Amino acid sequence: MPFATPLALLGLLFVPAVVAMYLLKLRRTETIIPSTLLWQRLAADTEANAPWQKLRRSLLFLVQLLLVAALALLAARPFIERPAGLARDLVVIVDTSASMAATDVQPDRLGEAKAAAIEALRDLPAGGKVSVIEAGRTARIVATGTSDLSRVRQAIEGIRPTVNRGDLGDALALAQQLAIQSGDAQVLVATDAALAVPPTTKVDAPIKVLRVGDPKGSRNQAIVAVAIRTTGSGVSSSAFVSVANFDLERATRQVEVWGDDRLIESKSITIEPQAKADVVIDNIGDTDHPVGVVDVRLTTPAGADGRPDLLATDDRAWAIVPPVRQRNILIVGPGDPYLETALSYLPNSRLFGLTPAEYPSGAVRKDGTEWDLIIFEGDVPATLPSVPVLAIAPSRSSPLGEVSGTLRDPGIGTLGTDEPILRYVDLSTTHIASAQKLELPAWARTVIPGPKGAPLLYAGLRAGLPTAVLAFEPRESDLPLQVAFPILLANLTGELFGGSAAPTTAVKPGDPVALAIPAGAVGLRVTAPDGRSVDLIPGATGGTSVTYAQTDQLGVYTATPIAQPASSGSPDASRVPSATPSSPPGDRPPGASGGLGQGVDPTAPIRFAVDLFDVDESAIAPGSASALEALGRATASAAPGATAVPGAADPAAGRPNARDELWPPIVLLILVVLSVEWALYHRDAVTRAWRAIAGRLRRPVRGDA
Amino acid sequence: MTLPQEPAAPSSGTRQRPTFLPSDVDPTVFDEAFLRQLERLLLLMRSPVGGGLKGGRRSVKRGQSVEFADYRDYALGDDLRQLDWNVLARLEKLFVKLFIEEEDVTITILVDSSVSMASGTPDKLQFAKRAAAALGYIGLASEDKVAVSVLGGRTARRRASLRGSGRVLRLLAELSAIQAAEGPTDLVAAARHAAAQLTGRGVVILISDLLDPAADRVIRELASTRSELIVLHVLSPQELDPPLEGDLRLVDSETGASVDVTADLATIDAYQARLADWKAAFAHLAARRAATYVDLSSDVPLNDLVFAELRRRRVLG
Repeated sequence: MPFATPLALLGLLFVPAVVAMYLLKLRRTETIIPSTLLWQRLAADTEANAPWQKLRRSLLFLVQLLLVAALALLAARPFIERPAGLARDLVVIVDTSASMAATDVQPDRLGEAKAAAIEALRDLPAGGKVSVIEAGRTARIVATGTSDLSRVRQAIEGIRPTVNRGDLGDALALAQQLAIQSGDAQVLVATDAALAVPPTTKVDAPIKVLRVGDPKGSRNQAIVAVAIRTTGSGVSSSAFVSVANFDLERATRQVEVWGDDRLIESKSITIEPQAKADVVIDNIGDTDHPVGVVDVRLTTPAGADGRPDLLATDDRAWAIVPPVRQRNILIVGPGDPYLETALSYLPNSRLFGLTPAEYPSGAVRKDGTEWDLIIFEGDVPATLPSVPVLAIAPSRSSPLGEVSGTLRDPGIGTLGTDEPILRYVDLSTTHIASAQKLELPAWARTVIPGPKGAPLLYAGLRAGLPTAVLAFEPRESDLPLQVAFPILLANLTGELFGGSAAPTTAVKPGDPVALAIPAGAVGLRVTAPDGRSVDLIPGATGGTSVTYAQTDQLGVYTATPIAQPASSGSPDASRVPSATPSSPPGDRPPGASGGLGQGVDPTAPIRFAVDLFDVDESAIAPGSASALEALGRATASAAPGATAVPGAADPAAGRPNARDELWPPIVLLILVVLSVEWALYHRDAVTRAWRAIAGRLRRPVRGDA
Repeated sequence: MTLPQEPAAPSSGTRQRPTFLPSDVDPTVFDEAFLRQLERLLLLMRSPVGGGLKGGRRSVKRGQSVEFADYRDYALGDDLRQLDWNVLARLEKLFVKLFIEEEDVTITILVDSSVSMASGTPDKLQFAKRAAAALGYIGLASEDKVAVSVLGGRTARRRASLRGSGRVLRLLAELSAIQAAEGPTDLVAAARHAAAQLTGRGVVILISDLLDPAADRVIRELASTRSELIVLHVLSPQELDPPLEGDLRLVDSETGASVDVTADLATIDAYQARLADWKAAFAHLAARRAATYVDLSSDVPLNDLVFAELRRRRVLG
């Protein structure tokens, strides 16, 4: 029998030590007794029965010898060999996407995947190395090329489920990098094959899929969308909930809408197989009873078929109700009916107008508050207000931009597809008669490019204030006659208003969130749904936003502004390297100024919700393993009829055998021997106790007799 | 009948001494109520005695008790008061009525005072003294002579015989004065010495643990005298069921000899089996020698010893 550590057999040298201990003369305790007369006779009897006495006493000795031998054998790690079923270098990929939390198998698919991966390690050849990759939203290596299987098992056991959208392609690319360094590599993928993103990465090593989950386990209903819309009057809000049934059978579910931990409404819905159902809950809050957070729960109604779905992660979603607040817009200029008409359709907005001559006295409202937005038509004052500004066709150069002339019939350049101001805005049929020729300031980005680099609309943060400049008057174009005009104005004022500093739509798990820092605050303290909090401080002084990337939990996150300390010392908080002093246009949250001085409380917490809302992850029906395995290199056994490439060595030829260590029966033997040894050592006490019990049991019988 | 309680051992010097006991008597031996109980008992003998002074026991002699024994012809000089006048009137012959003579006997109590007797809980020597006092008082109450002899070393120190229940305090004082011997005791030599001091027939009560290699010869020596032998074999509870465990070197308290023993349950069982055989040998020997053998534990209450155990063994009646 081979041994993994044969040197441990030196432990058998303890056998003579045990024998020596038995041979050594005992150190006896002296005890004075009245007479040794009877004991001398007893000693004589013992001498007469020496063989039996020795045999009886040596039983404990023999047991202890057996124990020493068994311990030495255990330390030597005997094993038996058998042909290995895996390559020498193994890359184990464990899928941790949200669908792996499905409970069609116990405890869940991830638990079964981890157990399957650990079980598969038995086929690893001796000395084989294992790398473990956790495939969540991105791939993460949790063990690298180690032959210590206990460490590998520990790494696999330590993998936790996530609520992210899985991406096996990233993990396969990483596995390819690991496998390419080895001549005999194999990739083991433990997954339910319910892939949100089918990977296409080819791997130069055989791929074996350990598919987990019940093939019929598709019973899942999910909340796939929640939206909060404010009514036209701006008084109350409605919740729009979309529920999808991914099962092949009709399902009845209860939709509960909670507002700030108070049940607002509960509706029972029946969803056809592979279909969606929308639920609208009106009046979830008004100005008298505002609701901050809407919590939507999908439950199993009592008395229904009673079968809960298999994935609980997507049965709950959250949404933040944006605060309802009136905006005051001041138009300084002669007045443009097109502009005023379009602005009048903006919800929660009130329009005011002043001529340029009246403006200096009306720069501040009569109640002392600031305007939410000032629109200058033509003339731009020498001193700009410290509020968001929209300048339309500025007549002269100013800090808003340098006017270098006039453009006649300027054409519209190529529009950016990711420009939030141009969202749903179609300018393909727009014609402009004339426009001011402006130079793009350093603080702005081009929204609508014009000819020769002259922008027709640009926006940005000027001294921390949202500012935009439209180079042409609307009436000098056919834009006001198009549906794009009110949409463009809505988007533009939306950015200039700033609105909430928090994301207005749900954040995907794992996605970074750009959070604007209110004026007067030095950073944000973000508290996750589980109560953990982290302080985010911009990396550079004067930064206006930070990026929070730890959105790996579903629920509502709260960002509380950290007030400016009285002293100039830097706050003792963890700095986040990803925090940026100024964000690029695409990452900049709309209206990041926060609107200080516009009626927004700078210390008010900013909340945002992280929801799964992933139809692909909610479709939990296990997929096919063959598509994944096809991404790997075909093995000789997997490709019938394949002929070996001449000159190419078969990596399996020199592969060591797998080892099955025989420690379980040895440990069992040791436990048995230990028990016997204990019983032998304490047999007197056990016998005395038994006699005492028997004596007590017999005593009442005699008394009765 | 409510038996009196055995007096508790003195726990401190503040314990008040009973007023009926003289100063040289161990107050822990008896209390007055217990002495009254003892007066009702009588030491039984298997055969009539041939004694000296008139006493309360049947004698082989014809005497002047009230119990009729036989007739004989009148001889000159006989006491005319012993003539059976009824027979004379009926048969006109002179017959003298003979009555059973009642005489006393000597009860000799041999107390083993070897070092081994001073061990155990309760103390075996203490138990022996109290048993001797009880039996001695019974003898005094029966108008017998009671003599205490202490076996120690190679000799037997015999005290003067006492007679009459009024001497009980003297008896108790003598027993109180018994201390464990110093050095080893040759029980056979001491018993032989005691046997030599016996005169006439009587009762010999040996109270000993018999922890002597030649203890059987002690019984033989004493049984070979003309007296009836009663052996009270006293062992302590620790000797009957040794509370020993582990690897021990047992040292003899009397001789200093040592024995190495691994005291496990099997050894204790073997010891107890050996002990049972040892006592059975004594019982068998005593039966063969027409002696009475009573094995006792020193934790037996004196009430049980006197009123139950010795009566059951027909030692007391």
